[in-house]
Amino acid sequence: MDQSLKQFTKTALAKISQVKNNSKLEKLRIQFLGRKGKINQLFSQIKNIPPEKRKEYGQNLNSLKKKLEIAFKKQAKITKTSPLEKISPPKISRSYSLAKIGHLHPISLTERKLNQLFSHLGFSIYDGPEIETDKFCFENLNVPLNHPAREMQDSIYIQEPQVLLRTQTSSIEARLLSLEKPPFKVVFPGRVYRNEKVNKSNHFIFHQYQAVVVGKNINLKDLFGCIDLMFKTLYGPKVVVRYRNKYYPEVEPGVGPDMQCFSCHGHGCPLCKGAGWIEMGGAGIIHPNVLAKAGINPQKWRGFAFGMGLDRWTMANYSIKDIRTLLGGNLAYKPNQI
Amino acid sequence: MKIVYSQLQRLLPSLKNLGPKQIADRLTYLGHFNDSLTKTKNDTIIGLEIRQNRGDCLSYYGIARELSPLFGPLNLPEIKTIPSISKTPLDISINSPDNVYRLQAIRLSGLKNKDSSSLPQIKKILLAHDIRPINAIVDITNYIMLFWGIPCHAFDTKKSGLSLIWEQNRNKYSSFTTLDGSHLKPEPETLMVNSPKQALSLSFLGGQSSAIQKNSTDIIIEMAVYHPSRVRQDSRFLKISTEAGIRLDKFLDPELIPPAFSSLVYLILKHCGGQVNSQLFSYYPPIKKTQKILFRPQLVSSFAGINIPTPFCLTILKKIGCLVEKNKKAYLVTPPSLRPDIRLEEDLIEEVIRYFGYEKIPTNEVLSQKDSPDITPSLVSLICTLQNILTSFGYDEIRSWPLVNQKMIVDPKTVIYTQNSINSKYPALRQSIIPSLINQKKQYSRFKLENQQFFEIGKIYYQEKKGDYQEKYSLAFHHPNSVQLQKNLDKLLAYFHLNQDLLMNPLLLSKQKNDSYVEIILDNLVHQISPQDLCLDFSTKKYTAYELERQIITLDANLNFKSKKDPKKILKKYVKILKDKLWQIKITDIYFDQKTQKYRYTLQVSYFALNDKSAKKLHLKTFNLG
Repeated sequence: MDQSLKQFTKTALAKISQVKNNSKLEKLRIQFLGRKGKINQLFSQIKNIPPEKRKEYGQNLNSLKKKLEIAFKKQAKITKTSPLEKISPPKISRSYSLAKIGHLHPISLTERKLNQLFSHLGFSIYDGPEIETDKFCFENLNVPLNHPAREMQDSIYIQEPQVLLRTQTSSIEARLLSLEKPPFKVVFPGRVYRNEKVNKSNHFIFHQYQAVVVGKNINLKDLFGCIDLMFKTLYGPKVVVRYRNKYYPEVEPGVGPDMQCFSCHGHGCPLCKGAGWIEMGGAGIIHPNVLAKAGINPQKWRGFAFGMGLDRWTMANYSIKDIRTLLGGNLAYKPNQI
Repeated sequence: MKIVYSQLQRLLPSLKNLGPKQIADRLTYLGHFNDSLTKTKNDTIIGLEIRQNRGDCLSYYGIARELSPLFGPLNLPEIKTIPSISKTPLDISINSPDNVYRLQAIRLSGLKNKDSSSLPQIKKILLAHDIRPINAIVDITNYIMLFWGIPCHAFDTKKSGLSLIWEQNRNKYSSFTTLDGSHLKPEPETLMVNSPKQALSLSFLGGQSSAIQKNSTDIIIEMAVYHPSRVRQDSRFLKISTEAGIRLDKFLDPELIPPAFSSLVYLILKHCGGQVNSQLFSYYPPIKKTQKILFRPQLVSSFAGINIPTPFCLTILKKIGCLVEKNKKAYLVTPPSLRPDIRLEEDLIEEVIRYFGYEKIPTNEVLSQKDSPDITPSLVSLICTLQNILTSFGYDEIRSWPLVNQKMIVDPKTVIYTQNSINSKYPALRQSIIPSLINQKKQYSRFKLENQQFFEIGKIYYQEKKGDYQEKYSLAFHHPNSVQLQKNLDKLLAYFHLNQDLLMNPLLLSKQKNDSYVEIILDNLVHQISPQDLCLDFSTKKYTAYELERQIITLDANLNFKSKKDPKKILKKYVKILKDKLWQIKITDIYFDQKTQKYRYTLQVSYFALNDKSAKKLHLKTFNLG
């Protein structure tokens, strides 16, 4: 027998003897003895053999084929009669993996963190519609038609100018004031819409969190205490917050809470655009016109409101670089607790 | 708004011993957020964010006045009266009286206009404000606008003629050419300054046809305050923002025109020579008198939550220019014309508190108000409960766009379209969450993230009849195994003691190419659930969410051991070794090889944030497969 054919036989027989699995054995059988198998390939080369040696070559191949067939049969008996012992890990027969755990969306986690805080403080959690009327989105919030503050919020309209997708969660405040009788303490997370181009850091949909309290003699000290606690819950006890005057049509006096930049600690850096502080939203004592429009007597009742965006905090907390991820399909969680 | 600090110091001499940072911080507390502090060679430029209601602060004069209650008195330059040499009246018509609040104009002749370099101080200030110096006359008009906050304009009479008309366009001119040669198409409502023959200027932007050039010798200068909405609408429609427009689209004080206009005339005559060649044109129809506001000082402390003494309140109001009269137990306060934003007692209270300092109000006292009634809607509790149940079943929560494309519309008869969606391919509001989940499934498949089980709770929208817009909360979830999906649904309903057959709520079971989805409208479901089954438990575990940027790579490995091993220990060992590169690991098979007398563990390992090559390299190294 030709030397290369001898070597081929040796390798093939070794391979066959190593297979411990019926299906793998079958695969190997097809590799060697199948229609397009290696033996048939060797037979097809017979035309390249000198005529005087063809007979011997053919006999050798037939002998090899028989040997392999016997080897396969033998090995099949081994794998059939004595399969590998299958063992079962506790409870699971063939596979074992750590339990799949479910995850909440990062925005939900942020909302729940704040809901939990304010629930403990006796606040109710409220909600309102996303398709909103001009009355609740602007008019009742002291922003009449042609008011310059409207320009800060490019709206997505369903039916211009009366029906739109809410541009701020303050619309829930306007509805709450109209529907509920004071006193009340309420928070509400919500999705809002602005007609803004979508890119890595801006989205036309974003999330806000707002609190409204109406009672007797509510004051700025109450407001600052709540905001401070909220920021400490989100950013830790060392957070530095300052409160400054800021104009919003729906509040008077108006307040702008700023957080000292956690990157430069107030010295100014690219993150805070050199200001040393990061604007964190808006707040203030509810404007008497807003209360009056909702049928609440501003001489008797006073309230505060504050609101902040949730997206940036969530992104920073969960190391999400692209705001589009929050409502996109590429946000995922590791399936197990690993 | 930018402020060159040395200019501010001239108006408020007491600032000489104070640094720009200190003043910038004080301005921030007063309501003008300091967004930049730029040091130049010998000066500092303070960047301020001026809010919409404080047009009066868009000037050096305004900011100095704002600081004067704390750092006053003001040191204003002497205002010289305009010489009344000529008795020739100016030919000016105001054909849009509703839009023009006040206007002054005058003709100056025999001028010798100069290069900007002849006024180095003014040139320096303009450059600090990113305003390009043009020539002496134009630069002075810009400087006066920065100083007083009232924009002004000059017309070369050789080009404009001597007759000027303030009017709305009313389709008179189809085109207007700006100073920089841009062509604009004014609206019929656009407020313009025209000659009888041509369009000369917009209310907030000069035109090329009457531009002042170095050889201009005879000019008409004007200063006006307009209806802010008119200017705002014109500027928005024409998509042009100018320094003048930014000021004129806010409420400006018409009372500032006489001193500002006198300063303008004085500076032009001082630097360019020439003389007054007409009577001063003055248009100022009577306006409503500022109303007196009742002020009760004790309310200031009540609003702040700490004691702010009455004398402090009254002093501050006087210092900001209010007239304060005693009225029985309270006061009547007349705000200055400069402050049209002060209309109510609450506005006065805010004035006092902001000068007192928000930073002096304690921040460590949480609301002392007694507990209010719980008005949390059941739906909020239901959503919270469902989130808790579904995550305990191993489902992940997703959130998706509520705007959908045409293919995702379920019922064309009830769909709601937006009029100006940011993406024209997604014009409609979704009617079901299932299409969103299908999209999510496709996305996960792209990332080779197989066998995902996830849910979304969100709004769906529809209109029963035209204009009757409805929205409801809906829950949809998906499991790759439809049997398991049904089991989870049964378990979920059982939790609420509900039976699928008895469910009064539309339950949507959708099959999409072998994938099953379930959707339940929660607004309907909530009425069938006992309040005792709802739980407002917001507690959560800490974990990480990942932004997938590349596919998950999954590879197999076999491990052989002489004795049985605890599968959990094997998994934990590799979790520790592979750390953050590991997405998931599981044992898919465990065999005992009688021949070799070894136990073989087959592992399936999924790698995260690695390409094929790096994942394979790490895999071979970790499992000694090289």
